[in-house]
Amino acid sequence: MSAKKAAARAVNTSALHVFDALRIVASAGEPIGASEIARQLGLPASTVYRSLITLEESEYIDRFQSSARYELGAMPRLLNRALLRRFALQRQSGAALRALAEESGESASVSVRLGWYSLRVAVAYGSHDFYHRDRLGEATPLHASLSSRVILGGLSQPDQQRYWAFAEKHFKPSVSDRQKSDAAIASVRRSALLIEPIAASPERAAVGAALRGGQGEILGSLTLHGPVVKAGAVAAPSALTHAHKAIETAMVGALARAPSPFAHLDPDDIVISLPRNPRIET
Amino acid sequence: MAPNETTDREHNKATARILRVLSTFVAEADDFGVSELNQRLGMTKNMVHRALTTLVEQGYLVRNKAGRYELSYRILELQNLAQAEPDFRALAAPFMRQLYELTGESVSLAVRADDFTVFIDAVETRKLGAWRTQIGALRPLHASTSGRVILSSLRDEDINAYIERRTPMRLTRPTGVMKPADLWRSIHAIRQRGYEIARRGANPVMVAAAFPIEGAEASLHGAIAVGGPEERFDPEGPQIGPSLHALVDELRARTRLYASEAA
Repeated sequence: MSAKKAAARAVNTSALHVFDALRIVASAGEPIGASEIARQLGLPASTVYRSLITLEESEYIDRFQSSARYELGAMPRLLNRALLRRFALQRQSGAALRALAEESGESASVSVRLGWYSLRVAVAYGSHDFYHRDRLGEATPLHASLSSRVILGGLSQPDQQRYWAFAEKHFKPSVSDRQKSDAAIASVRRSALLIEPIAASPERAAVGAALRGGQGEILGSLTLHGPVVKAGAVAAPSALTHAHKAIETAMVGALARAPSPFAHLDPDDIVISLPRNPRIET
Repeated sequence: MAPNETTDREHNKATARILRVLSTFVAEADDFGVSELNQRLGMTKNMVHRALTTLVEQGYLVRNKAGRYELSYRILELQNLAQAEPDFRALAAPFMRQLYELTGESVSLAVRADDFTVFIDAVETRKLGAWRTQIGALRPLHASTSGRVILSSLRDEDINAYIERRTPMRLTRPTGVMKPADLWRSIHAIRQRGYEIARRGANPVMVAAAFPIEGAEASLHGAIAVGGPEERFDPEGPQIGPSLHALVDELRARTRLYASEAA
């Protein structure tokens, strides 16, 4: 091997260590120390230490409360925001979501389909909402949250079958996951709506509505949480119906451009190692 | 220094360049080509190309049909959903430090609270003769450099309503009253320039520059300002001016990803 090639390979190895360390910090869930990162990577502490300095100086990781433990820094958050901005539904739904959150006092959000996942691309927080912070950028398998089950229910039957094949391989859904999803699919087919009780607050429910494009294809879902909807309700609050209409109308003009930057990919090829998510029961 | 350590350091520099290429994708553009990145970052095309190849291999970028590079969905893996979203102060903090390092002068961060500016953060120089920022203090919008920047982002009818509510628009240091025509002159200048420059006092003359910091969907987070004695600080001079604007623009690229929570 020539000296030049060897040098290039060494740079590559160093870069690989940096990205490996970054992924360990991202998947740790809690702030993590340098020696633990070194242990997980099976690398000498000094090598890992250099990687961590590079990552910290570039704002990819940050020290938790000035301690010796690391968590993700500003840059990954900014890049995630930049990714979300590329979805037409985010740009088109902001005003309607804010109006809905203001009128209902509850948090409202829009999720899009991304392969066999749903991705929350826009949120407006309601004034009643202290703890249920639906997070922007949250990706979930199509069976695993209310917003995603609405999207699953809006897919064609062959696509739903393809989804379950993918899910068996990657998420291992349980029998009760399947039952919950079957009920959701039936509800969306019947009324384009899904109303499910909120586990943590009895008698309250969350409601999701399917967002469709001009050809009837499913684009995403609009979700509203909280006491505005009672368990056992069959109709959506009128504020949600208004927001739903406003977003679908806004999307008519926007759909000339692709609704998702990843719409051209085969959904089976989109595999995401989901970050740990305490809000999702799966 | 041991030879190993030197090469290690070189490799980490190369890796830092790769991360810098990825960070560029925060900017308001869907995709980038090699020559744009090479101009923007001042790296050789060869370096940029190698960085892009690594980032595609790592899964964080993809090459689109036009042969340009864009963010991949695998960026979603680099998230911690339990971490709080940053507020304006957290977004601005690294830039306040960099503005201080660039100018050596005091830097402040202000937001609007109804008819007032409230300063929410500051980095103060230890040099003699400096602007002092009282964090948490309220100043009427017309009465500070940052406040006029915030005012100028409002609609004309809202500015007129402000003037009506606040007249006579009192000033302190020096004590006086601002005439509506003077405020409008200042607002028009800010809108044209994109920022405010204000001088006051004598011996020394103090100069301050304040920049509006926008959020998503044309909202305004607030203003960032830097100021000091004119004899050592010239915000429009060739030494500092271009870097000052570049830093402010870099901050704006970030704040535009977040909606302002201000009223």
